[in-house]
Amino acid sequence: MTASGLVEQLASTRQQLDFAGSLLLKPSPEALDECSTILEATGRQLAQWQPEFAREAGNAAAMEEAWRLRRSFQRTSRLLQGAADFHFNWLRARGAITGGYTGTGDSAPLQHGSRICLEG
Amino acid sequence: MSNLLASLVSSAATLEAYGRVLETAQNNVSNASTPGYAKQRLELYALPFDPDGGVTGGVRAGKLVSSRSEYTEQAVRQQTSGLGYQQQLVDNLTAIQANFDISGNQGIPQALNNLLKSFSAWGATPDNVSARQSVIQRATDMASAFQQAAHDVSARSADAQQQIVQTVDQVNQLVGEIQGYNHIAMQGAKNDAGLNARMHAALEELSSLVDVDAAFQTDGTVSLMLNGETPLLLEEKQYQLSASLTRPQDPPPVNVNGPALMRILGSDGSDITSKTTGAQLGALLKLRNQILPSVMGDGAQAGSLNVMAKQFADRVNALLTSGNITNGPPAEAGVPLFSYDTSDATAVAGSLAVDPSLQPEQLAAISPGPPSVSNGVPLALAALANPVQAADKIGGLSYSQFFGQMAGNVGSELNDAKNNLDVQQSLLSQAKDLRQQYQGVSLDEEAIILMQFQRAYQATSKFLTVLDQLTETAINILR
Repeated sequence: MTASGLVEQLASTRQQLDFAGSLLLKPSPEALDECSTILEATGRQLAQWQPEFAREAGNAAAMEEAWRLRRSFQRTSRLLQGAADFHFNWLRARGAITGGYTGTGDSAPLQHGSRICLEG
Repeated sequence: MSNLLASLVSSAATLEAYGRVLETAQNNVSNASTPGYAKQRLELYALPFDPDGGVTGGVRAGKLVSSRSEYTEQAVRQQTSGLGYQQQLVDNLTAIQANFDISGNQGIPQALNNLLKSFSAWGATPDNVSARQSVIQRATDMASAFQQAAHDVSARSADAQQQIVQTVDQVNQLVGEIQGYNHIAMQGAKNDAGLNARMHAALEELSSLVDVDAAFQTDGTVSLMLNGETPLLLEEKQYQLSASLTRPQDPPPVNVNGPALMRILGSDGSDITSKTTGAQLGALLKLRNQILPSVMGDGAQAGSLNVMAKQFADRVNALLTSGNITNGPPAEAGVPLFSYDTSDATAVAGSLAVDPSLQPEQLAAISPGPPSVSNGVPLALAALANPVQAADKIGGLSYSQFFGQMAGNVGSELNDAKNNLDVQQSLLSQAKDLRQQYQGVSLDEEAIILMQFQRAYQATSKFLTVLDQLTETAINILR
């Protein structure tokens, strides 16, 4: 891969990460599943290009793009953390509301929401 | 016949109930753009149905239920506070950065460069009056550049101080507004959706100014705590904040006349500055009490601008006064070029000056040696551009590099704030979407979503850990 090719690939990876981040703006479980697939592909590509990075050490353009990629990753990571904080805090609160507290003082685990309806 | 009449009555009641459902839906549509409004729904109850017993069934309208979830409202307010913090930092740091141009085309870097060049030119023609005059002129320009920078940074500090006072006033005003809503709620309007919407709109505005926790009570009132512990509003009682200047005495100040810091006081007079870290007020306090003092000084530190001005002036003066104007006999020693206020370490840059009565022939060029060198002093002064000796450096750096580092610190803070602002905007957008998602969802549906999310999060977070390592490794290899 040429130096410009590597920069282009990094930019393309960043765009995928940006897309994953945009999915997390509406963090439904489905969006997270889609995000997970993108992140897996992104990780595989980055691992595959490791030898190229060594060949391009000191390349300012590649370095700049790598920093952009890192920022994009950090944004995606914080959005995931934001959604996780929201859901897990609510999970704990809901557990405490519906099941009280365990002997160790933690919120009770949330009971599964399945229902049985009997008619007759 | 009686059954027919009963059925007609039942149908009329049902139609009335559905009429109220339609009214509720219509009201939701009408208020779709009302700030703080959360949609409502009407509960419907099935009536007993027993045709044999003459009970005709039908439906009865129940109470109006708000779809609002206070948990999601608090999450939105939390992200609104974060956005307020980053936005305020970006706005103020952008203004401050204008005073730290490192292009070399203006301000201190340009004046420093010109002065060092004039030392070099003087070294080439040590007896030339014009070269000496140029040194005095460039030194005067340099002193003016420091004075201007000190004045500009002080002006930014005064702006931040004024903004803090205004923000505290806004907070008190908004809390007062919410106090009025609490009063109305306590008069029996606790289920008024319009009142509730106004309360939430005011709370959202308040959360961009300060980190506030809101707890809604069963009587429809809301209690407000600043940073989770300082009361702002309990039922109808408001606790006002105030802002004032302070000179911390513990530890005793090194610079007794240094710029004072700003502090925030609770209604009982307790100092809550250190706990006021979020939203716009938190950002303004960080700027006013941390970032700007690191440049212009305070009771505990001289500030990098003053440190640079003092060390440069002292070094130039030391070289000039160690030299001779003539070798005599008797030898005539040189005079200092710069003067500044020695009584206050935080006032050096602002008071740096060159005596206007200084004459070109008073500049000492001769280094007495031995051996005596006719241009030894200007050469030593010109060496400040690319220092080798520790005495010519400041913090191990040249003066240009030191200024660059100072400017770089401001630039780095601004860059971080800009990146964080972008993320924070997304986080607020996410919180608003989650609020939308959870509005009106039943507890059972909610439990299912939470469990699905937990599973999906576990899968995604694993990839993020791997990506964190991979992106960091990429940068380290490319470095």
